[in-house]
Amino acid sequence: MQQKILEIKNLGKSYGETTALANFSLDLAPGEVLGLLGPNGAGKTTLISILSGTLRDFSGSVAFRGQDLFADRRLKNRIGIVPQEMAFYEDLSALENLLFWGGLYDIPEKELKRRALELLAVVELSTRAREPVKKFSGGMKRRLNVAIGLVHRPELLLLDEPTVGIDVQAKVSILDIIREVGRKGTSVVFTTHQLAEVEQTCSRIAIMDQGKILATGTLAELIRIVGEKEIVEVSGEFSATAFSEAIPAPSGAGIEILSVSDDFAMLAFADSQDIPAMMQRLFAHRLHVADLKIKSPSLEAVFLKMTGRSLRD
Amino acid sequence: MKKIWHIGRLDLKLMVKDKAFFFWVLLFPLAFILIFGNLFGSSRTDTRASLTVLNQDRGKWGAYFIRKLESPKIELAVVNEPPAEYYRVLVIPPDFSTRIERKAAQEIQFLKDSEADLKAGAVADTKITQAIVKLLAELVMYGNRDMKAFFDTRNPYRDLVSVHTRLPKDTIAKIPSGFDHTLPGILVQFVMMMVLIYGGISVMEDRKHRVLARILYSSASFAELFGGKLLGRLLMGLLQSAILVAAGLLLFRLNLGNVWLSSLNIVVFAAAMAALSIFVGSVLRKEELIIGVSMLLANMFAGLGGCWWPIEIVPPAFRAAAMVSPAYWAMDTFHKIIFFGKGFAAVWPNLLVLLGFGAVSTALALRFFKVEE
Ligand SMILES: Nc1ncnc2c1ncn2[C@@H]1O[C@H](COP(=O)(O)OP(=O)(O)OP(=O)(O)O)[C@@H](O)[C@H]1O
Ligand SMILES: [Mg+2]
Repeated sequence: MQQKILEIKNLGKSYGETTALANFSLDLAPGEVLGLLGPNGAGKTTLISILSGTLRDFSGSVAFRGQDLFADRRLKNRIGIVPQEMAFYEDLSALENLLFWGGLYDIPEKELKRRALELLAVVELSTRAREPVKKFSGGMKRRLNVAIGLVHRPELLLLDEPTVGIDVQAKVSILDIIREVGRKGTSVVFTTHQLAEVEQTCSRIAIMDQGKILATGTLAELIRIVGEKEIVEVSGEFSATAFSEAIPAPSGAGIEILSVSDDFAMLAFADSQDIPAMMQRLFAHRLHVADLKIKSPSLEAVFLKMTGRSLRD
Repeated sequence: MKKIWHIGRLDLKLMVKDKAFFFWVLLFPLAFILIFGNLFGSSRTDTRASLTVLNQDRGKWGAYFIRKLESPKIELAVVNEPPAEYYRVLVIPPDFSTRIERKAAQEIQFLKDSEADLKAGAVADTKITQAIVKLLAELVMYGNRDMKAFFDTRNPYRDLVSVHTRLPKDTIAKIPSGFDHTLPGILVQFVMMMVLIYGGISVMEDRKHRVLARILYSSASFAELFGGKLLGRLLMGLLQSAILVAAGLLLFRLNLGNVWLSSLNIVVFAAAMAALSIFVGSVLRKEELIIGVSMLLANMFAGLGGCWWPIEIVPPAFRAAAMVSPAYWAMDTFHKIIFFGKGFAAVWPNLLVLLGFGAVSTALALRFFKVEE
């Protein structure tokens, strides 16, 4: 069996009363691009901080290619980390930033400059390479933030919500960069709370909530968790409690409520023949249904089933 | 070591890139230098007293007497007509020679203007008294010999008496003044101010933007990060010093005394401020607060420590209080080097005190420096 590039075992971390990570375990094979999906406060940033070595006082272990990650500082030369914040110098140009950050690794000057220019082309910043970064748009800054994590050509790239706070087009270009990096053989872990991002970008997906991994697998594997079911989305004007009273869960063998909130509910049906019966019960309880969608199982359904809560908050 | 240099160098680069850089490190301090330099005078006019001599004598003795007044401390002007303006004038009467040769009583007048400087007047007074004593002594020794033969070159009684003034060792021979005092003073003030402000703000901003944490994502150690930040701030102080020294040399013919020793003083002082700036930037979280505290500290230390006026002119109690200011020790070192020509043996205790300030500041900085909020 191929050696794992990353083996995280039973990580635990608390901030006083709050448990940020509990028994968190995750493996990564070389070349994998793993999307770590988790809602706000799930512990994503805490995980990245531990892996980056800036957060101490945790329990559990992390091995990088079989070695204790925290035993030898030089291992950090082989890992690239892109924080959630735009952590760079706004008064410097993109090129100057790359030369500074790359200069922290033992790369010969000429080689560093060559790599920096090459990387600027990859993240499509070549034409603005010598402008002060503070003049950049949010999307451009995000791309530079990613480029800085790549300048020393790491074997493993960790990104914390690399697409947060930017427009759709900028997101697409960041995801393209991640896919391209993965295609060239770098292993990648990136955190997000955007379902579409992991569906499009990752070779493997992990769902986490409240400091734990709930499920991992390829998109197809995860969808199988929900099973060969019809997913029904109901929206209208009703309260969550009224809906639950109308359709008590679990109501019969074939119907499963994946999530319910005010004005929106998602259900899984083993048999689509049961859908009209559900509608009748809603009408009988005088719940106003405005829209009903029947879908095939998606990652969203899996996510709702696993976490019981929506990502959209 | 390479990483420390890499991290430190960047802070210097960012400081130079600041738009207001030249205003803060050159124009602003130059204004201070001009104000305080002129306020506390230039060293030349202060130590040379001017004396006008109106010589009405028709014989040789008047000129002979005047020669005895010559001294490096006196700016002597000999005139034949009563001058229109003067600070002080010595009038030698027309019958000066005749009366000496007749051994008759003699009267010379010394007139002072109401605006004349008292200290300079005292120098002139002393010189005149000395000249009279010398002349009298020679006349007494010469006795009843032929007065006409006094000016014979073989006369052994000519220029018989000479007075050498020597001050006891370690007397404050002069009070540091003029641009030679003001320039080092403002240099010390601005090293404090610029290092604390630029250095403090950038530590705070780097922490806020998680730049400090990101540096630790690389294999750079905490020690290398801290060392780099310390070095960066030291370089800021040295750059500020270099700019003011260059301006001083070009514009004010600055005299630094022993250049190596003065440079050592600057380095040790800037290092102490570098550490202090990390402490300030670590405990404060707002830019305005850092600027306020830095301004307050720098100006308090500068005023107290004798950057603006020579500490030699303030009351002893104030001078004792000044010792809490690191600027006092740097200024005292400059005075010893520049004005009193002292060497390393005289200034090393001062440098040790500054190193002590640096050590305490470093300890405080290490205690409070953190890479994230
Ligand atoms: N410095 C801290 N002090 C106290 N609690 C903290 C701290 N940092 C994080 N937490 C808590 O730990 C939990 C996990 O936080 P974390 O930032 O890792 O979540 P996240 O998945 O990154 O969330 P987001 O999507 O909002 O970035 C949260 O409950 C959070 O409130
Ligand atoms: Mg986060």
